[in-house]
Formats: sequence, C-alpha cells, structure tokens
Amino acid sequence: MSAAVPIPVIQLLQVLTVALGAPGVMGLIGCVEARLQGRRGPRVLQPYYDLAKLCRKEALAPLGASWFFLAAPFVAVAAYLTIPLLIPVLTTYGLPLGYMGDILGGAFLLALASFVVATAAAETGSPYAQLGSSRAKTFSAITEPVVLFVVFTVALLTGTDLPYALAATVRSSAGQVIRPAHLLASAALFMVILHETGRIPVETHTGTNEFGMIEEARSFEHSGPYFALLKWGSMLKQLILFTILADVFLAPWGLASTQRLGAVLLAVVALIAKAAAIGVVVAVIDDSFAKLRLFKITEYASAAFLLSVLGVFTLYLGGG
Amino acid sequence: MSSPGVYEGAANVIAALMLLLEFGMLRQALVRDQVRLYAAQSALVSVLAVVIAADRGLPDLYALAALSALLKVVAVPLVLRRLLGRPVGEDTPGVPGSYTLNPATAVLASIGLAAFGFFSFGNLGIRSAAAPTTALAVAGAMVFVAFGLMIVRRDVASQAIGFFSLENAISLAALVVAAGLPLLLETAFLFDLLLAVVVFAMLIRAQHARAESLSTADLTRLRG
Repeated sequence: MSAAVPIPVIQLLQVLTVALGAPGVMGLIGCVEARLQGRRGPRVLQPYYDLAKLCRKEALAPLGASWFFLAAPFVAVAAYLTIPLLIPVLTTYGLPLGYMGDILGGAFLLALASFVVATAAAETGSPYAQLGSSRAKTFSAITEPVVLFVVFTVALLTGTDLPYALAATVRSSAGQVIRPAHLLASAALFMVILHETGRIPVETHTGTNEFGMIEEARSFEHSGPYFALLKWGSMLKQLILFTILADVFLAPWGLASTQRLGAVLLAVVALIAKAAAIGVVVAVIDDSFAKLRLFKITEYASAAFLLSVLGVFTLYLGGG
Repeated sequence: MSSPGVYEGAANVIAALMLLLEFGMLRQALVRDQVRLYAAQSALVSVLAVVIAADRGLPDLYALAALSALLKVVAVPLVLRRLLGRPVGEDTPGVPGSYTLNPATAVLASIGLAAFGFFSFGNLGIRSAAAPTTALAVAGAMVFVAFGLMIVRRDVASQAIGFFSLENAISLAALVVAAGLPLLLETAFLFDLLLAVVVFAMLIRAQHARAESLSTADLTRLRG
C-alpha cells in the first residue's frame, strides 16, 4: 500500500509524537474541564501559546542559586524525552532502543527527572518551592510501593518486565483482559497517575493556593524559557504516563504492527485519541471530586496499594 | 502465565470487587454509605449466581439470585436505614470515635488479614466444578476482613454491617464450592440472615436507648 518507514525514523517519531502531542493533551483536559464547569475555557492550543510566550521572556534566577538550578529543567526534559524510546508508543514490535530498559528503567528516568526538579526547587531558598519539593518527595515515597506491586503483577503475568511483552499478552485474548490481576493493576496504576500528574483528588492542578500545592509549587522560582521547559516537562510526563496506561495496560490496540507509513500514521492518531479519552476521564474526575486534605493523601495511597497488592494475590493459585 | 478464560476471569473479578467493597466498608466513616456498599456487595453476589447459572446450566441459581437480591439488596438495607434513621437522625455524620485505628492503618492491617485468609483458604486445595479456586480464596479473605471490620469499628451499626457482609462472604464461598447445593438449603441460610438482622436491630435499639450513642466504647467499663 504505502512505503515502509525506516526503523530509526519510527523511533524518532515516537519521541516527536509525545513531545508535540503533550501540550495538546494538556490543553484538551483544561478545555473539557472548563466546559464541564460551564465556562468557555481556554483553547485546546493554549498550552502551545503559553510555552511560546514563556520562551520569549527574560529568565531570572534567585540570588545564590547555582548552575544546578538552571540545568535541572534541561535534565528533566531530557529524561522525559528518553522514556518514549523505551515504551510502546506507536508499534507493537520492539524497536532497537526499546530494549535499553524495562519498566523499571522508565520508572528510574521519571524518578530522576522529579529528583532534579525537586533539588533545584530546594536550592532556591523560597519557602513555597521548598515546601513543594519536600511534599513531592514524601508522597512519591508513599506511592512507590504501589508502582512496585504493579510491576510485580506485570512480571508475574508475562514472566518479564518489558512493557512490550505485557501489551502483547493483553492483546492475545479476552481472558487476559478480564482477569482480576490485570484490572486491579490497571486501576492502581491509574490512581498513581492521578497522583503523579497532580490531579484531583491529590492536588488542584490549576489552583493558586500555595498551601495545597505539591508538584506545582516546585517551579515557582523558575522563569522564562526555564519555566517553559518545566511546564513542558510536566506535560510530557502526563502524556508518557497516559501512554503507558493506554498502550501497555488498558488498550494496546491501534498500534502499528508493520513499518508501513499508513499504519504508523494511524498509530500516531490512535495514541493521541486514546490519550485524549483518558484526559476526558481525568477532567471528569477533576470536576466531580474535592481535593483531599494533605493528611488524607496517605489514605488515597493506601487504597491504591490495596488494589495493587490484591492484584498480586489473585495471581497465585493460578486463577488471577 | 496463561489466562484462566473469560468465565473464570469474570467470576474472579466479581469476587475481587466484593472484597474491594468490603474494604470500602472498612474505611467508610458514614454508616449510611456503609449500608449502600453492603447493598452493592449483595447485588454482586446475585450477579455471580447468575453468571454461574448461565455458564454451568444450573437453573436453580436464578431463583436463588432473585431471592437473595430481594432480601439483601432491598429488604436488609431498608430495615437498616429505617433503624438508623429514627434514633440517630437523617444526616448522621457517623459515630464519633468509631475508629480504633486511623483509616490508612486499618486498611494496611486488613491487607495483612486478607493475605492470611487468602492463602490459608487457597492452600486448602478445594477444587470445585462450578467456580475457580481464586474466588474461594477471595471469599476467605473477605471473611477475615469482615471480622477485622467488626474489630476496628466501635459502633454497633458498623459491627452489624460487618456481620451481614460476613454472611455475604459465606454466600460467595458457598456459591463457589457447592453451586449445586439444594435450593432449600441455600434459602434456609438466607433466612438465617433475617434472624441476625432482628437480633442486631434489637441490639442497636437497646444500645442507643441505654447509652444515647451507638458507640460501644462505654461498654468496656461494665465489669461483673
């Protein structure tokens, strides 16, 4: 039908899809959320304009901040742009660089990015940025066990922890989709994603009240292009997590199984559509629940932990 | 790992959902919402009965599902709501001081209990033609979590709900182990539940009349 796309180009396309699609997904969530609240809301393309505007602005750094403060946004974005090489974004078959790391490799990169941003925020001396970075680290320590148990579930289901293997297992039969271990792990992962992307019920994404902030507060002291990079980074993180949920757990369909141009382009459209669908769900959740009090977040994390632990349990006895 | 098939998967998912609702009751502060969760859990028992009936060709189970839905989804929650409505008022914010542990700790402790129940039942090695082993193990976990619920909550109403959901767990186990049990026996078990409802109703009224509260915290001071 159409020409074959060379493998390196597909690999590059995976990164480009995530890099360019991320602000759009963020914009869509903002738009849907506003519509649900009866507001007109910003355009879907608003995040692109925001990023462009920030890039033209002057960058200032707090007095006494070192080179690390300025390097952190770059490191974070570089880490986020590496992850799409490791996970199935567009193809069902593993691309050459896809075997550089498994799910844990991806998790390490996410953790690295969040670590450098938190360290840069702690370095500024600004109380709110420091508060955000310490909270972000505290709560990510609480959700870490959930992620580990989700990975255990994947490992028990497939005998490996390569994301491509789980996607292939889920595609293989309806029985694989309906088994409790898979559903419980997916639900737990979704709860972790709500936490990681700073959404209700953990954090108000668009809130301006510093006392409720976790992730959002970390970038307070950055400005200009550096701030733009941090914002873009959090959009990238969101789309990457949505991609993992959709292409590995919930709906690994619509991926290209050949190198044909048509199939690859279709996969790009499918990915954005799936991410948009998850985004709409997230927007509905954002509008229908209240933010949890900070000390109630442990209860939220314990609920997610319960789901992931039960997922591992049910796999024993061969039945899960 | 190969998948156990759609029917077994569905049965296991329903069992796992029931266990999750049990945990929901454990951490839910409002008694009214606990009743709602109990009704949902009872509905799932009926759904599971229908699934087993359809897959294994056991027409008795349809009747059982209908009877159980009528009793446990409609009647028992109705009675409980009326009971709670009169003494405590329409918008009761739960019984103060009902938790002996904070909710997160209670959930973590109950995960331990669930693990114990799950693996001890799983290791009994009971195989049944009607439903998968995992569902039985989940029923075992539910029994223990229901006991946990009765232990960590200090109000009579929550304890009653814990007891009723214990019956749900046993229904689940019965469905899994002996789906072909004579209808008469299953129905007899269901009517046992009614007896428990009456007893707990009297207990709730008596406790409220005596202590002006549903909390059992005051009872610890009573010594013979």
